Amino acid sequence: MAKKMKIKAKEKKGIVKVKAMFTSLMADKEEAVKKGIKASYIKYIVAKVNDVIVYEVTMSGFMSENPLIKFKFNGKKGDKIVFTTIDNNGKEQTGKKKIK
Amino acid sequence: MDRRKFLGVGLAAFAAIVVPGTDLKAMNFRETKPKAWEIEKTVDGIKALYGNAGLKKSDKLTFKAPKLAENGGSIPITIKSSLDLESIALFQDANPRCLSCVFSVPKGAIIEYDFRIKMRQTAVVTIVGKERGTGTLYTASKEIDVSIGGCGG
Repeated sequence: MAKKMKIKAKEKKGIVKVKAMFTSLMADKEEAVKKGIKASYIKYIVAKVNDVIVYEVTMSGFMSENPLIKFKFNGKKGDKIVFTTIDNNGKEQTGKKKIK
Repeated sequence: MDRRKFLGVGLAAFAAIVVPGTDLKAMNFRETKPKAWEIEKTVDGIKALYGNAGLKKSDKLTFKAPKLAENGGSIPITIKSSLDLESIALFQDANPRCLSCVFSVPKGAIIEYDFRIKMRQTAVVTIVGKERGTGTLYTASKEIDVSIGGCGG
């Protein structure tokens, strides 16, 4: 399965709107048993701009498949937003995007 | 040093480490509150995560959710608040474990979070927000009808 992160970040009047989609089955224990696969879900997502945290969430496997998140924060054009996700097996992934 | 004192000192030291940490550094709720993630009922889950403090209803903490969700596998939820919250958690009674997600809100952030959750059956969804500084807990809840269960059901 392709492990990809899609990030969109747009600035308007000092407020940056971010949309991000992560690839994950988000299968918790019970669901994994039903489907006959290993449990796999993202448990932690953090977004940083200039090393300052702008978004942070700890999740369980009860978020929907391929989680899509949207949020806003005060920021400016040209900065880079860096996402880091950690899944239940401790695997880390990062994705970067410039704010438009 | 006798044991009683030792425990007290240990706790104080622990608190001293944890309290400044919340402001500066990332907080992983799965590590700090591992118990809360295993609990089935919303009421107990809130206690495990935030302690026994009373819950207040507030107009300033709201969330949008569909009344009737056709697909339990993906229910869009939007949390909005004008309060200065430290963290927000979402609980539901539909799944084997009640806690869906916990946001830790950075200082001065705009609280408007969009995401999707899974629910197996019709149940009440509760969000709880903890105010920065005072530690007051605010809550809002809604019942969501699910016609087809998510979670592979």
